[in-house]
Amino acid sequence: MSVSNVTATGINRSERITLIRFVGLYSFLVLMILILGSTIYFKLQKDLMLQTKRLELEEYSKELIDGLKLLHIYFDHYRTYPRNPLYRSAIYDADHVRIFSTLKHPDGVQLEKVIYTTDGVIQYIHVLDSYYLGTKYTVVEIDDDEKWFTAAWNNILLYGGVLLVVFLAAGVLLMRLFLAPMRNAIHLLDRFIKDTTHELNTPVSAILSNIEMIDTQKLDPKTAKKVRRIEIGARTISTIYQDLTYLALNHKIVSQDRLIELGPLVQERIEYFKILGESKKITFETDIQPGVKLYIDSGKMARLIDNLLSNAVKYNRRGGEIFVRLRPGELLVQDSGIGMEEKQIREVFKRYKRLDSGVGGFGIGLSIVAMIAEEYGLTIDIRSKKGQGSEVTVRWDA
Amino acid sequence: MGRIIVTILLITTALWASDVNIYERNCVECHKNLPVSLEKFFFDYLLKYSSERRVKQALRNYLKHPRKKASLATNELVEQYGLMPKTTLDDEDLRKAIDIYWEKYKVFGKIE
Repeated sequence: MSVSNVTATGINRSERITLIRFVGLYSFLVLMILILGSTIYFKLQKDLMLQTKRLELEEYSKELIDGLKLLHIYFDHYRTYPRNPLYRSAIYDADHVRIFSTLKHPDGVQLEKVIYTTDGVIQYIHVLDSYYLGTKYTVVEIDDDEKWFTAAWNNILLYGGVLLVVFLAAGVLLMRLFLAPMRNAIHLLDRFIKDTTHELNTPVSAILSNIEMIDTQKLDPKTAKKVRRIEIGARTISTIYQDLTYLALNHKIVSQDRLIELGPLVQERIEYFKILGESKKITFETDIQPGVKLYIDSGKMARLIDNLLSNAVKYNRRGGEIFVRLRPGELLVQDSGIGMEEKQIREVFKRYKRLDSGVGGFGIGLSIVAMIAEEYGLTIDIRSKKGQGSEVTVRWDA
Repeated sequence: MGRIIVTILLITTALWASDVNIYERNCVECHKNLPVSLEKFFFDYLLKYSSERRVKQALRNYLKHPRKKASLATNELVEQYGLMPKTTLDDEDLRKAIDIYWEKYKVFGKIE
């Protein structure tokens, strides 16, 4: 028997949920960091390119202003705008009215900026001190070859990809570190249960078999009562032992499914629990229809019925009642116990969940019921009212 | 019909001529005796004030309140010919005269 196998289902399920949540949050944060870093890098690369181009554009701008100066002085003689095939340009007055333009996109000019890119061009704005021909702003434009853009994106994809892998690897490592204590604690608990289970088997069997051999008729009433109490205690331990064995060996035992008659099995289990119920003066009422059959492993069905009856006894009030009804496709166990609230009903199938720590048990009963139900496609319906008792119905396709 | 058209043409021409006369009578008349042309003054205004709105505003202010400090003429010119007298035109005529001056020398649409 392997401990890791025993606990695999329970741990993996919670681990998976934790893993998904952690990976989701972590990936989101990593992506945010990478996007932020990439944005800053991209902007820096763009600024660097613009600073480099600015020197060139400043030279062109000076040349344009010299041309405008000459044009201003000799405007009565010639009126040809200073042009250069290396760049395009435009001039604007103090009220941002365009005086003349050879720009590709004269309408998108942003005179409040100094240098910027727009629609595949780089535009540089210079503010004049002397307004030749009324010009306050000169705009010089060159084509943006976008080499810097491609290079920046290549770097972002390359280094961003590497960083993403590193971050994710670190995330997995961190998660393993954080999960380790939880995993160890659960392993420890399961190992403890497994060991305890082993140790329980022999003495419980010895007690039960020896009690059965005692002829209580020959005993005086006081001793007979004491022996009865010992039997109840031993049977309680035996039930717990059966549950723990089921949990411990669940994945190791091959199910021996066959069509079984449920009536006798339910009756047998009720008889078994009647002795346990006696201590709380609980009475059993049954309505068992004969001939109800189900294709299932009889041992597992017994565990399912036992746990329902065990809970009905455990959480019942003193002098309470338990009603068991068997119909084709339905088994109902009703008690007159403490009942549950809505929120508690949703949590009862969790392993180690105990609604009342004052009663015995480990909180594994309904977890076992849920496991068996899931394996055989049974549905479980719990109806309960606080203080009025609970009603558990197991249904299957008849 | 022909008479009406001729009458309209005559009235329009007369109105235009009267506006032009405001500029010619009140500006050119004096400035033609100066060694610095009105065109030169216009480009000096353009050099200092840039836009149509600012040039016209500066001209209006100066013509209504001529001061040496606000004048764009050289010191020599001012010393020789003195500051120009305050305008006698009312606001409307002054505006018309300045508009004609702007239209005559503006660079918009003239750069090739």
